[in-house]
Amino acid sequence: MLSVSLKKRLPGFALDVRWESSDAVCGLFGPSGAGKTLTLDCLAGLVRPDAGRIVIGDRVVFDSAAGIDLSPRRRRLGYVFQGYALFPHLTVADNIAYGLRDQPRATRRERTARVLDRLGLAGLATRRPHELSGGERQRVALGRALAIEPALLLLDEPFSALDLPLRRVLRDDLGRVLREWGTAAVLVTHDFTEAYRLADRIVVYDAGRVVQSAPRAELLWQPASEAVARIMGVRNLLTGVVAKATPDRIQLRWRGQILEAVNSPTRSYLPAPESPIAFFIRPEYVRLIRKDRRTADPAHHMNLMAGVVVGDEDFGTTWTLRIRLDHPGPPAQGDYDLEVEVPHLVYEILEIDRDRRWEFSIHRGSIHVLPA
Amino acid sequence: MDLFPLWLSIRVSLVATALTLALGVPLAWALGRRRFAGRELLAALVVTPLVLPPTVLGYYLLVLIGAPGPLGRLLGRIGVELAFTWKAAVVAACVGSLPLLVRAAQAGFEGVDARLEQAARTLGRSEWSVFWSVTLPLAWRAVLAGAVLAFCRAFGDFGITLMVAGSIPGRTQTLPLAIYDHVQANQMTEANTLAALAVALVVALLLGLGRLGRLRY
Repeated sequence: MLSVSLKKRLPGFALDVRWESSDAVCGLFGPSGAGKTLTLDCLAGLVRPDAGRIVIGDRVVFDSAAGIDLSPRRRRLGYVFQGYALFPHLTVADNIAYGLRDQPRATRRERTARVLDRLGLAGLATRRPHELSGGERQRVALGRALAIEPALLLLDEPFSALDLPLRRVLRDDLGRVLREWGTAAVLVTHDFTEAYRLADRIVVYDAGRVVQSAPRAELLWQPASEAVARIMGVRNLLTGVVAKATPDRIQLRWRGQILEAVNSPTRSYLPAPESPIAFFIRPEYVRLIRKDRRTADPAHHMNLMAGVVVGDEDFGTTWTLRIRLDHPGPPAQGDYDLEVEVPHLVYEILEIDRDRRWEFSIHRGSIHVLPA
Repeated sequence: MDLFPLWLSIRVSLVATALTLALGVPLAWALGRRRFAGRELLAALVVTPLVLPPTVLGYYLLVLIGAPGPLGRLLGRIGVELAFTWKAAVVAACVGSLPLLVRAAQAGFEGVDARLEQAARTLGRSEWSVFWSVTLPLAWRAVLAGAVLAFCRAFGDFGITLMVAGSIPGRTQTLPLAIYDHVQANQMTEANTLAALAVALVVALLLGLGRLGRLRY
């Protein structure tokens, strides 16, 4: 159980956050400069908040009201810094043993050997950090933090120092290490995929505040607001006008269409007709209607619309199509209205490179309305 | 030929360098790593010996540690006499050397990534331990360079030493003062020998350190 409440004023920036997590891995996600690293520094005791309270497990490590402020060395948190901050003058083994100085020599040696072994670093024990690859450095930093058997692991952008192809491999590696070790962790990242892959709960930061804190699946499907969706980099983030809202359904007008969406049963809300409403449509949930089957029919195909492919991009396993609807007037997103993602195979079978005019349908459950 | 001035100079410079390190390293660390009231003033004070004429420095030092001076009387009470002894030469050398060491070491400490020290703190180390295990090992090259400068400055000091230690042959006459005396007395052979020895010593020192400095971690 982790409970964090912090206020910290810096020149030109104010952090004011409050969140809790009882999950194994909690991700702090948001744009750079949102206060995520500052939060980690406050947790670790490297920066003293102006006010607040930090409880890790059953230990109060900071409480401004009660005058409690444990020094970094008493908090016993394993901090994996951005860029790793390995000691350049020490070997891999000495880096890992660095936090074990208070232990008896035998414990120190045994624990260092175990960490080296479990992280697959045994062959590198006598190397120095500058002789290691990026991935190896990351594991040494992780090992150094885990060796002290921390109450909580703090990970600050653990992949920012790595090349893109390596990132995906190491992301899954890190996930496995975290599960195997069973240490609770707070992960800071500005990459939503990273947060989603590694964290059970995601706390969304923006400009020094928490804008949403939710289990990862809930965040993915129900961003709390347009601002959250924008920070997550949600595609097809659009604005329409409410036509009719009931507890089950919301009808909205957009680009000459009436779209029908499901009103979330858990958070249903009833905006007044004619008020603006933000919504998003995931590109992979837009369905192309095959021309070799029966003709499209609004009774069968929900939210039916027609348009032209004005651009497409090959992403290897998928294609992204940019669609402009037939309705006159300026398109919703520059020169197109919707992004649609189709598997490579579908692109080939339907010969989309040749055939540019299509009809689409979107299930009402795939149009996600965002509270203002 | 009397080599006493050479031995005296080596002894004075070594003791002065040790004292300068003991005083200057904590000072450099405080100036480079801590934020405290009066830091700017302290930083300015530390470099004044670089900009003041040595005789002016020597004069004030003599006023301070001479038998009638405030520090002189205090020391006199415990039976220590500084002025016009080889110990005064050590104090004179320290005053000249301190700014050189502090400036070099401070730059070294400032060059150590503060994140490394923070990492050490989160790993359970005290400030004392952080300094000895991270800050100093990563800044030792700069500290060493400062110590070499300090030694050479101490070895070559003329003005401050002359004012506070005098130039008593066989007691406080260091190598630079002896060379001056020999030249005054037109004893060019002796002056030559001492000067050549001084050059040889400093060149040997720099060569040895150049080799040490190439050690990489």
